[in-house]
Amino acid sequence: MSNLASIPVLMERLRVAVHAKDAPRRTALGKVVAEAGHVVVGADDTADVVLVDGDGPPGETRPVVALGGADDDVSGVLSADADADQIDAAIRAVAAGLVVRLPGAREQEAGFGAMRETLGHALLTPRELEVLAALAEGLTNKAVARRLDISLHTVKFHVESLFRKLGARTRTEAVAKASERRRHETITL
Amino acid sequence: MPDQPELLAQFSNALATRAEAAKNTVVAIRLAHERHITGMLWHSGVVVVSEQSLPHRDEFELVAPGGAVFSAKLAGRDPSTNIAILRPADAIAAPSIVAGEARTGAIALAIGADGTGGASARLGLVNLAGPEWHSSHGGLIDRRIVLDVRLAGREEGGPVFDATGGTLGMSTFGPRGQVIVIPTATIERVVPQLLKDGHIARGWLGVALQPVAVPDALRETADQSSGLMVMSVVEGGPAAQAGILAGDIILSVDGTSAHRLRKIARHFGADSVGRKAELRLIRSGAVIAVQTTIAERHAA
Repeated sequence: MSNLASIPVLMERLRVAVHAKDAPRRTALGKVVAEAGHVVVGADDTADVVLVDGDGPPGETRPVVALGGADDDVSGVLSADADADQIDAAIRAVAAGLVVRLPGAREQEAGFGAMRETLGHALLTPRELEVLAALAEGLTNKAVARRLDISLHTVKFHVESLFRKLGARTRTEAVAKASERRRHETITL
Repeated sequence: MPDQPELLAQFSNALATRAEAAKNTVVAIRLAHERHITGMLWHSGVVVVSEQSLPHRDEFELVAPGGAVFSAKLAGRDPSTNIAILRPADAIAAPSIVAGEARTGAIALAIGADGTGGASARLGLVNLAGPEWHSSHGGLIDRRIVLDVRLAGREEGGPVFDATGGTLGMSTFGPRGQVIVIPTATIERVVPQLLKDGHIARGWLGVALQPVAVPDALRETADQSSGLMVMSVVEGGPAAQAGILAGDIILSVDGTSAHRLRKIARHFGADSVGRKAELRLIRSGAVIAVQTTIAERHAA
């Protein structure tokens, strides 16, 4: 018997509400939470911790773990592309009343900066964004080809191009990096 | 050369006197987990805060000079200039503010709130004093002022003084932890608008856009290699009324190419409200023009 196992918060199945902007992301985060042995509850149900993608809903009184959020008020802050182990560790830490921050958080933060004059790095094409959305839902290349009505060869071509442009090695990484990019680049007019 | 210890002592005393007096210029804004950020007393009823570090809620607790605790309400926030203002429930005596002059190489004294009614101080140089610039959120900042001081998170939002006691502006963090100053002139311009409306008027079409590469097949027709793809359209907004659809790729606004982000942002300033705008966009493989009328954006 390990001593650690006797500490309730490390053993416990915590009730976690997941808050994300879109359904695929919510599903993906819910899966991470469930695989870590916790129970995913509805947004308004009693929860020990709320896992939020980006900035949380204002007025949230339960402990929050935010992925890539900027709000200083929340208990836990992780990067937008945090892995499953980090998310699990942060949920348990925050439920135990601790505060979670990234090392050098202040230095890594975007800060109040200047607008870029022009668009820089390799932009994705509309088709690549469609392929990406399908990858985010966990579709296989074959399923992506069927959905977009293109050949398997063309899908592979787009996926390789996505990896190159985003500097990603895996599909999960590509989805995470693209979502991070979208967060920084979305302009509202 | 004779040693002149009195010079150094005078310099040190002068700084300590300034820092002592400056504790009447700051309040601490309490955050969760016994942390705080600094606010700058602007007039007796107005506290200026760094917008990016202010949590999204309506009510706050302030620690005034001397340690008295006040409740305060959010009166407005403008992410485009990083300025938010709080109104304390009771007036807190505020010092008179004289705008300072930022010069590269000049001394700058940055003041923070210590959380118990006192002040903390940081001394450095104006690392860079440059011309006006546009923030990534499209706001106009009157001067580029970078300091070579280290600043703790709890000190962000405090005033920065020049050697004559003039106020250069409010300290805040730029990219990669760089310490920059939101100039007094910008605060003077924005605070009255925030007090009146709670936000800064900006032109609005009601679309969320993401930069995309124009597909190869359309580059020649479009005559440019990038555009802004419409990701979502706000129901009932000007873009929706003009028939703009998610998936459209905007190439230009009134002749300004969509990859000139700053120019586009400037195009949607306060004076743009009510103006007609012509958008050139790609829809189902063809380039078309759409007329729309710019409305006013509400809330952040």
